[in-house]
Amino acid sequence: MTRCVLSSVVGSYPVAIPPMELMAQYFAGEEVSWHPYIADAVGDMVEAGIELVSDGQTRDPFVQLFTRRLGGCRVRARTEVVGPIEYCEGITVRDAQVVRRVVGPSTKVLGVVTGPFTLMKSCVDLFYRDERACCLAFAEALRQEAVALSWFVDMVSVDEPWFANELPEYAEEAIGVVTRDVTSPVRLHVCGDVERIVGRLVGMPVDVLSHEFKASPRLFEAFEEYPSEKGMCVGAVRADDARVEEVEEIVAHLERAEAVFGERVVQVAPDCGLRMLPREVAFQKLQRLQQAKERVYGG
Amino acid sequence: MELGGISFGGQPGEHPTVLFGGLFFKGAPEFTSASTQLAMMLQVGEETGMPTIPDVFIRKEEYIEPILEFIEQRLPQAHPFSVDIIEPGIKARTLEALRDHGLLGRTIYNSLHIGVTVLEREALKAHTPAMAIVVAFNPKDSSPDGRIEVLENGAHLLESGLLEVASSLGIKNILVDTAALAPGENSGAALASLPVIKEEYGLPAGCAIHNVVEKSKWLGRYGEVKAAVDAASNAGIALFGGDFAVFGPIAQAPVVVPLMAWFDMVVSEYTEAYFGVCPSARHPRRVLTP
Repeated sequence: MTRCVLSSVVGSYPVAIPPMELMAQYFAGEEVSWHPYIADAVGDMVEAGIELVSDGQTRDPFVQLFTRRLGGCRVRARTEVVGPIEYCEGITVRDAQVVRRVVGPSTKVLGVVTGPFTLMKSCVDLFYRDERACCLAFAEALRQEAVALSWFVDMVSVDEPWFANELPEYAEEAIGVVTRDVTSPVRLHVCGDVERIVGRLVGMPVDVLSHEFKASPRLFEAFEEYPSEKGMCVGAVRADDARVEEVEEIVAHLERAEAVFGERVVQVAPDCGLRMLPREVAFQKLQRLQQAKERVYGG
Repeated sequence: MELGGISFGGQPGEHPTVLFGGLFFKGAPEFTSASTQLAMMLQVGEETGMPTIPDVFIRKEEYIEPILEFIEQRLPQAHPFSVDIIEPGIKARTLEALRDHGLLGRTIYNSLHIGVTVLEREALKAHTPAMAIVVAFNPKDSSPDGRIEVLENGAHLLESGLLEVASSLGIKNILVDTAALAPGENSGAALASLPVIKEEYGLPAGCAIHNVVEKSKWLGRYGEVKAAVDAASNAGIALFGGDFAVFGPIAQAPVVVPLMAWFDMVVSEYTEAYFGVCPSARHPRRVLTP
């Protein structure tokens, strides 16, 4: 079979950032540059054959990555919301531009924003004292980031892991705010066991849904109950297990996805960000994911 | 906090700003001019009531012994000094040598930061200096909040915050360097962080703000002004309520020390009049004015 299915990633990738290297830049009175680490992460993804790559989220964990640069947020052990949440400047836009420069013309670029509900739930709200208001304020700020990103990337992914724990009644509204005016296709990634909420996920205002099908294969059956037109990004290697899956095992998984979703499968990816894995393991997982994808869908 | 009769910290206007004069050797240490400059700094400090401490750079392992011998011979007994070292291996070797010379009780370790290595940790645990400067540099965030983050939790670059790391190594006396950054990179935040850090932790805080001047290339177009700004930049530390300034080179002491005495007096006049903070017995206000 030959079909245009892209191998992709969810977001984070493990890259060593030696603090002494950063201190050397400080002692030399130079501005610290994250670009070499981004290039390092992207280099691995490209070398593994991945066709839709992220910046690797090398700067920070995915919450602080955004709250650090948003007005009204103060980074402590947990981020504190101490004033109106405001978008001040591009947060990951420059990183996406670096990725664009690093990759060749045949590789596509994924911009990743952490979802507003996950940000709200990860913060201590000392200002709004109202979850919906705080979440929608994050959503509006993230919308500006997503719009700015969409000028430079091929797809924007909204990463909302917290939906697996709790799906608020305003979830669709919040995602709708983030994706309004975004000029690229949008993917929603919700990792964890989303079996209970599939009925609502298929109604989200996005183009592609991305989930942990490898860690939670029961999701295939859950999705069969809810017919949908949405594209699917199939999680096909685990992000929480250092065992590197055999190509045959991934192929079998993708064939099962094909049987359930058919042409709706548009991307294959790891279940989640790979930050917690050793780098060589993460790289091998991406390599085998790509090999399996080529076996099932062609190169 | 006190070391060798020098007080660090307190309320603004209480104690004079402690001045660390950078003693840097280009190539092999040359002790003749270093002796003169060190004596000059100590003398002008004595005259003005400003506490001065040499901040001695050690760049190579073979320089450790002669530099420590120089300190033993040229610095008054019990007077503190700081060792300013970047390379972790030389840091570890210097700590051993300081132990051998019986100097750890006078040593201010410059510095502990996110680049701390296992080797350095082991050396600090085994040969703990009397005091350490902790550099609150956060490469992810140049705001005062970023500095607090690196002190509190290591900004995800260390397993814990730098204050906890220092404490776990047995370092009892901590000075916080608010990490002056390159021009154009929120360099003013090093000054803005001084009252924030003092308020948050009650620890003495200061920085090497003159490094920013050194990197401000455009100032070079105005001839002598650059040297004037370099010396004057330290005043910002006193005005923001800071407790120590690292200036350099030490040859600047005849300018920097009286300049800082003047600003400390201005701060003291105000804080005493408005807040009732009395200047300490050896404050320049008591030493220089009848």
